Amino acid sequence: MVKASTTENPSQSVSPMQTFFIHLICGVGLAVGLWVAHNFYSISLISNPSRTLRLIWVTMCPLVILFYSCFRKNPEKCSYLKAVIRGVLALPIGALVNALGAIALGAPVGIQYFPKTVNWSLLMSLFTFVPAASVFGSSWEDWRRIFAHTKPNASVDYMICLPAHGAVIGAWFGAWPMPLDWERPWQEWPICVSYGAMAGYLITMVLSFVLVLPRGRQQHPKAD
Amino acid sequence: MMEMGDWWRRGKWRIMVMLTMLHIVGILIFTRGFLLTRTELPYYSNCSDVSESPCFTGQSNPYQNQSNSRCWTRPAVDRLVIIVLDALRFDFVAPSTFFKEPKPWMDKLQVLQKLASTKRSARIFKAIADPPTTSLQRLKGLTTGGLPTFIDVGNSFGAPAILEDNLIHQLASNGKRVVMMGDDTWVQLFPHHFKKSYPYPSFNVKDLHTVDNGCIEHLLPSLYEEDWDVLIAHFLGVDHAGHILGVDSVPMIEKLEQYNEILDKVIEVLDNQSGPGGLHENTFLLVMGDHGQTINGDHGGGSAEEVETSVFAMSFKKPPPTMPSEFDTSSCEMDLDQKKTCISSFQQLDFAATVSALLGVPFPFGSIGRVSPELYTLGAGTWNLENNIEGNCPNQKEEEWMQNYCNVLCINSWQVKRYIDIYSASSVIGFSSEDLLHISDMYAQAEENWSCSSESLLLFKDESCYSSLPLKRKIDAYFKFLLNVAELARSKWTEFDLKMMGIGFVIILISLPIYFLAMMTKSVNGFSSLLFGDSEIFVKLVFALFMVVIRACSFLSNSYILEEGKVASFLLATTAMFKLRNSIKREKMLVEAIVFLLLITILRFTIEVGLSKQAATSLFMSTHSSWLVEIDPGHPVWIYMAEIIPILALIFLAYLLYIIMARSSCHSIWKYVVLGTILCYILIAVHWASESDVLSSMLMLQGIGRNFIPRIIYAVGLGQLLLLAFSPLFHKDRDLESKMHLLIKTLAMLSSCSSTIIVLSGKQGPLVALVTITGGDFFYLYILVLLT
Repeated sequence: MVKASTTENPSQSVSPMQTFFIHLICGVGLAVGLWVAHNFYSISLISNPSRTLRLIWVTMCPLVILFYSCFRKNPEKCSYLKAVIRGVLALPIGALVNALGAIALGAPVGIQYFPKTVNWSLLMSLFTFVPAASVFGSSWEDWRRIFAHTKPNASVDYMICLPAHGAVIGAWFGAWPMPLDWERPWQEWPICVSYGAMAGYLITMVLSFVLVLPRGRQQHPKAD
Repeated sequence: MMEMGDWWRRGKWRIMVMLTMLHIVGILIFTRGFLLTRTELPYYSNCSDVSESPCFTGQSNPYQNQSNSRCWTRPAVDRLVIIVLDALRFDFVAPSTFFKEPKPWMDKLQVLQKLASTKRSARIFKAIADPPTTSLQRLKGLTTGGLPTFIDVGNSFGAPAILEDNLIHQLASNGKRVVMMGDDTWVQLFPHHFKKSYPYPSFNVKDLHTVDNGCIEHLLPSLYEEDWDVLIAHFLGVDHAGHILGVDSVPMIEKLEQYNEILDKVIEVLDNQSGPGGLHENTFLLVMGDHGQTINGDHGGGSAEEVETSVFAMSFKKPPPTMPSEFDTSSCEMDLDQKKTCISSFQQLDFAATVSALLGVPFPFGSIGRVSPELYTLGAGTWNLENNIEGNCPNQKEEEWMQNYCNVLCINSWQVKRYIDIYSASSVIGFSSEDLLHISDMYAQAEENWSCSSESLLLFKDESCYSSLPLKRKIDAYFKFLLNVAELARSKWTEFDLKMMGIGFVIILISLPIYFLAMMTKSVNGFSSLLFGDSEIFVKLVFALFMVVIRACSFLSNSYILEEGKVASFLLATTAMFKLRNSIKREKMLVEAIVFLLLITILRFTIEVGLSKQAATSLFMSTHSSWLVEIDPGHPVWIYMAEIIPILALIFLAYLLYIIMARSSCHSIWKYVVLGTILCYILIAVHWASESDVLSSMLMLQGIGRNFIPRIIYAVGLGQLLLLAFSPLFHKDRDLESKMHLLIKTLAMLSSCSSTIIVLSGKQGPLVALVTITGGDFFYLYILVLLT
C-alpha cells in the first residue's frame, strides 16, 4: 500500500487503483443501502425518508470508516483502531455541523422533522467529515487545507476533498426544487436535497478518480 | 485605489453625472408606466351636499312632503344583509347549463339557483371585479367605489385602515348601525365603524373552519335581533380550500355544500320574518364574492376566472319588484329543472353607489360607479304611489320608476363629475385635458336644461300618454357619461402603460455598455489588473456575480417570487457560509462570521412569524401555535410592549451610531450624514409615540400632524443622499485610507436609506423594524471592530 515517491510523502501516496477501489466500495455501499430499503423493507426515499436514510448511512458507515482509515496520515503514530475511533466520533459531530448548516439555509425546524433531519445530517456527515476525520484526525492544518483552501495536494486529498464538496454542492442545488408548486411528494425536506447530495457525491467520486489517474501514471515510471 | 482628487481633476465626474442622469430618467419614465398611482382625496360626502347638485331643482319637489328624512336618495331598503364568500367563482353560483360542460363543483349552491329561477325578487348577477384581485384591495374597491392601485398615495403610512370616504363610513356617520362577523380584515380596514364586530384571524390558510364556524355562530342569532341595520358576514372557507387544494377537491365541495345549508337557513329566517310588521319586512339580502379564483385556487391577477365572481340579490319586500325591460341586460338559459334562469351582469365598481342609493346614504366621495339599474330595481322596484298623478296611463308605474331612477342617476353623475373635477384640480398626475373636456361635454349633454322631475315632464306629455321616451334618452346620456368615466379611470389606474415601461427599460439598458466602457479605459488599468491578477478576488467576484444572477433568475418563476423571503435568506446564508470559509482560510474575523450566520438564522425565524398569509403556514407557527394562542393579544402588557419595544430598539440603534461616529476620527461629511440619521431615528420614535394611543396621552404628544414628521424624514433622507452623491466635490485633496473610507461611506449610505424605509413600514412593521435593526446591527458591529 505504501509506495515510495519523490514528490509525495510516502504514507500519503495512493494509487489510482486504490482510489477506484474505495470509491467503488462507497458507491456500492450507497446502492446496496437503497436496494435493501427497496427490497427488504419496501420503502423508498420518497415514502419513508428517515428510515431509508438511516439504512443508507448504516450500510455505508462501516465501509467508509474502515476503508478510509487505511489511508490514515501517520500510520506509525496512530493505530488503525485509533483512526476508526476518530471516524466514529466524527460522525455525530459532523452531523451536528451539517444540521446547523441546513437549518441556517432554511431547513424546517420542528419535532416532526427531527428524525428526518438527524438521519440526513448523519448521512451528510458520512460524505463530508468522516473520511477526513479518519485520515487526518485532528490535524487542523490539513482540515483547513482541504475544506477552506480547497487545495488537495496528494491523491488521498482528492479522495476526501472532492466527494465532500460534491455532496454539499449537490445538496445545495437539490434544495432548489423545494419551493416550486409542482405538488410532488419528493419536494419535501429532505428528499430532493438527499438526491442532490447523493448525485453530487457520485459524480465527484468519478471526478476524483479521473484526477488521480495522471498522478498515478506519473509515479509508475519513477517507481520502476 | 484612485485618489479622489485625481479622479475629479481628470473630469471623469462627467461620466458619473451622465450615468446618474441616465438612471434617473430611465427610472422616472419606467415608473410613470408601471407604478399606477392614484391620489386619495381627503374629502367626505355629506347629506347636505345634494343641495349643490342640479337635481330636484323643480319647484314642487315631489318628495318634499315625505315624513322620513331624505338624504341624497330616498331609502328603498331598511336593512341589508351582506354575506361575502371569499373567492366565490362565478361557476359556483350560476347553473351549469351556462357553461360548456358541467364540472363537479358546479350546482352546489342549489338554494340560490332555485330562488333565482322561481322568484322575481331574487336574481343572480355575474360580477366583474377589477384587478388586483386580492381580498384587501377588493374590499377597499367595493366599499370606496373606486379602483385601488399599486400605490394609493394617501395618509396611511403602512396602516391598512381606509381613510378615504367609503360606504361603511357613510353608514356609520348617517346613523346606520353596522355589525360585522368573520374575516378580521374588515376590522383592520374599518377599525372604529362597527357597532358590534366578531372578527376571526384570517392569516392561517390551512385553517378551513375557524372563521366560518365563528361566522355561523353569530349569523343566525343576529338575524333575530333588531339592533343593527347592516350586517356583514365574511366567510373564508372557499378561499382557503382553493389555496390549499384547488377548486376540484373534496374539501371545496364540502364547503360549498355547507354554505348551501347556511344560506338555506338564513333565507328561511329572513322569509319568516318578512311579513308586515316583521323584523325583516324591508330587508335586502346580498350574497357575493369579492373575487374569483383560478382552478389552482390562486387569485390576484386579471384573468377571467379571477375577475368573474357572482352576486346573488334577493329582496324580501312584498310585493316583488318589476323592472322595465329596456334595462334588462340579462342572458337566460334553462337550468337543470327546466326553469328559465336569467343572469345579469354587474360591475363591482358600482357596488358602493348602488348600495348607498338603496340605503339612502350619500355616495362615497371617490366613488366612480353608477347605480346599477337591475340591482337597484331589485331593491327599490315597487314604490308606494304617494304621488298620484292624474290619468289612467297604463305605464304609470314604469314611468314612476324611470323618473326616480333618472333622479338617482342625476345625483350619481353630479357626484362623479364633482370628484373628477376636484381630483384633476388637486392631483399632480391627473387626467389629460382632452379626456376631461370629452367628459365635461358628455356631462353637459346629459344634463341639458331639464331635470327628471315630473313637472318638467309635463312639457313632454302627449296624447298617447307614453312620455317615457325623453326620460329614456336622458337616462342613456347619463349612462354614457358614467361608463366613459369608468373606462377612463380603468385605463389610468388598472392598465400598465407598456410604452413608457419599454422606453424606461431601454434607457437603463443603454447605461450598461457605458459602464463597461468606463471600466475598460486606460485610466482605470489599476482596477482591471487588480481584478484579474489575484485569483482570490476573481473567485469572490464570480461568486458574487453568480449569486446575483441566480437571484435574478429566481424571479422567472412564480413560486420563487412567492417564497422570495426564503430564497433571499437561503442565498444570504450561502454567502455567510462562504464568508465563514474565507475567514477560516485567513484566520481572521472567525467569531464575526459565526455570529453573522447565527443572526441570519434567528432572523429567518423572526421573519416567519405571522407577517403574511404564507408565513402562517410555516413550521414555526404550527409547532408553536399552541404557545401563541395562550397569549391574550389584548392584554395591556403586550400592548405596551408592542408599542415600546420598537421605540427602544430605535433609540438603541441611534446610540450605536453615535458611538461609531464618536470613535472615527475624520470624514466630517459622513459624520453629518450619520448624525442626520440619528436625528431621523429619534423623530421616528417620536412619530410612533404620537401615533400610539397609549403613549401619546402619557407623553402629551398629540397635535403633531400625521404627515409632518414623515415629510421631514423624507427631506432629510434626500438631503443625505445628495450629500453623499456630491461628496467628491468636497473631498478633493484628502489623503484617505481607502478601507476605512469605504466602510464609513457604506455606513453612511445604509443609514441614509434606513430611516425612510423604517418610516414607510409604519406601525404595521415594528417587527420589520426590529428585524432590520438586528440585521443592521451586525454590520455596525463589524465596522466597530474594524475601527477599533
